[in-house]
Amino acid sequence: MIRLEQITKRYGDTLAVDQLSLEINEGEVCVLIGPSGCGKTTTLRMINRLIEPTAGQIFINGQDTSRIKVEKLRLSMGYAIQSVGLFPHMTVGENISVVPHLLHWEKDRIAARVIELLKLVGLKAEEYTGKYPGQLSGGEAQRIGVARALAVDPPILLMDEPFGAVDPLTRQRLQSQLVRIQQEIKKTIIMVTHDLDEAIRMADRIAIMESGRLVQYDTPEAILSAPINRFVRNFIGADRALKRISRISIQKYIRPAEFININTSPNQVMAEAKKYRWLWVIDDNRQLIGWVDRDSLPGAASIEEVMNREEAGEISLMDNATLRDALSQMLGLGFKYIPVIDDANQIIGELALEDIEEAMAGEEG
Amino acid sequence: MILRLIKLDKVAAFGSVIGLISLLAGWLTLRPNRLVSSPSTSLWGSFGNYGAVSLVVLWLICLVLSLSGLRNRRGLLLGITANAILILTLVLVGFNASRLSEAAPEIARVSISSGVWLTLAGAYVLIYAARQNLQKQRTWYHLISWGTPVVLVILLATGWLNQVSILEEFHSYRLRFFEELFRHIRLFGSGVIAATIIGIPLGVWATRNRYAEKSVFFITNIVQTIPSLALFGFMIAPLSALSFALPWLRDLGITGVGPAPAVIALTIYSLLPVVRNTYVGIRQVDAGVIDAGLGMGMSRWQVFRRVEVPLAAPLALEGIRTASVQAVGLATLAQLIGAFGLGWFVFTGIGAAAPDMIILGAIPIILLALLVDGIMRKIVRISTPKGLIGAT
Repeated sequence: MIRLEQITKRYGDTLAVDQLSLEINEGEVCVLIGPSGCGKTTTLRMINRLIEPTAGQIFINGQDTSRIKVEKLRLSMGYAIQSVGLFPHMTVGENISVVPHLLHWEKDRIAARVIELLKLVGLKAEEYTGKYPGQLSGGEAQRIGVARALAVDPPILLMDEPFGAVDPLTRQRLQSQLVRIQQEIKKTIIMVTHDLDEAIRMADRIAIMESGRLVQYDTPEAILSAPINRFVRNFIGADRALKRISRISIQKYIRPAEFININTSPNQVMAEAKKYRWLWVIDDNRQLIGWVDRDSLPGAASIEEVMNREEAGEISLMDNATLRDALSQMLGLGFKYIPVIDDANQIIGELALEDIEEAMAGEEG
Repeated sequence: MILRLIKLDKVAAFGSVIGLISLLAGWLTLRPNRLVSSPSTSLWGSFGNYGAVSLVVLWLICLVLSLSGLRNRRGLLLGITANAILILTLVLVGFNASRLSEAAPEIARVSISSGVWLTLAGAYVLIYAARQNLQKQRTWYHLISWGTPVVLVILLATGWLNQVSILEEFHSYRLRFFEELFRHIRLFGSGVIAATIIGIPLGVWATRNRYAEKSVFFITNIVQTIPSLALFGFMIAPLSALSFALPWLRDLGITGVGPAPAVIALTIYSLLPVVRNTYVGIRQVDAGVIDAGLGMGMSRWQVFRRVEVPLAAPLALEGIRTASVQAVGLATLAQLIGAFGLGWFVFTGIGAAAPDMIILGAIPIILLALLVDGIMRKIVRISTPKGLIGAT
């Protein structure tokens, strides 16, 4: 656990950070966010003492960091920054091994760790170990930066806009990759960003800062549903309802769906499925293959004849989607209901627009 | 059609024009003795019909080649022709120097005139142009670069050129020549080494501290504005005063005149390029790289040793290269405060009005500068980290 107690940083007459107190639980992702100049980077850099606080104390697992030798303190936490800062004269492999070398790891252990880390960040070890930073794309360099920060498996990871310098598409990919990695490694991560979507996607807790002060510190859901003041409300913007449902998984809202086998006779369907007008059509493997309008069934010889055949991926949601994904998919298709499928394209239920509306309204109150 | 056949290589054409002009100048001069001057003889008078016609034809070929559209072969053909011109000129100079001096009294001298120098210069320009086109054919590249120097060494070793006045001058000063050559190397070498030892820490210090930066560059910049000749003169008064005050300094060889003040002056003069390049070398290291290094837990020293030094080394060495080449030439002036070196030939030659003696001093200074430049370039290339090549 990391605890910041009444931390203040003063540069001459300006207060960069003003009596900030913060507790970060083990294994959680804490995102520091705020407009530029709010002191978020200064706060981060005081944790590994790249900046020394003017007043206040920082404790890691109860130990006052000002009493730990700086190099030792920094070796115990990973550090990844926006400019990445890969050493241009060292290969990717050598860059990742910098900290293991400083800790006098054995050669074989370092080599094995490099391969393991490259795999973790989704890069081919054989291809990348010998490359120089100058030969990498922005996204690749950022991933190497993260791998280097994780080199000795430190329990704490400090990240200063780690995905700030790449294009939006790559950034989203890297974010979801980090989310996946985090599920695997469970580090205590303190991340600075100015991108609210990034914060909402990654954070267990968001700390919103304004001119050196902590304004609100809570889970993304809580901040989005109950912004503490006007500053926070403005900061998170008018579309906070949408942002909030982007944190909510559809799991809880999946309801049983009515679906029919393609080989059933239209008459039987007319008799049995009376509840809905639109029905999902599956094949013998329970795989979604399209939908049918009940009103078109009378007189049809087979389902095949009147059904709308579709690509499963285009008219359905995966079961790990968020309510926001669901909403945007339904608006795009003009559906009031949308089927939910699993990895094997098998239908497991459906989602109704009214449920999403209810979810939004419910969380509001 | 015509346009396809013509493709101007400006550098080669420039060399060819110099060569063609050289044909109009005087080539050899027969002088009654080493100090008296007399009019030089023309190309025809110097080399006879065959020699003169061959050179004219070869130079015309060069001109045509430098205008021709032969894109792929041109570099090679130009290089070969230029080497042919150089070798032919050297052989003819030696042959005709012997011919002319046989018919003249013992103390008469045959010296080289502007025509030969211009032809050598023009051919050098051609070889330079040819090398640019031959970067990929390494064998030809080396043959064309080294063909003439090898032939020159053979001609010198076999005594073919002994009747040329510069060589006669060399033979009468043989021992002195090597002595001064080594003195010269010692002078500029000590100056550059001292400047490196002092300059690199100063350059590093300047990056660490704003006051250091200001004062270091204030002093080194001022030093650079002092005329070099004056700097050598400045050394005399304080050093002789010092050596009178502290006699043990005299025992170490530190006096107002001689090598000590010369080396000090060379050191001071070499300081700016070393300091400036070291400073820039370290300053240009990306701040993010240093931040990452410190943030990961490297100590200040480890960041310096493992990140800043390797990244700054090529630029710092480039500064030492500049300083070395500059110091080779500057060390000539050391003669003026009694430190000898190759400057001795130059200034004694000026004093005695013996042009051959001046040239005997000047040529090795030029060659030395080129050699030092070549060696330092190689060192810079070796020291450049692999990851930086082609990345920027």
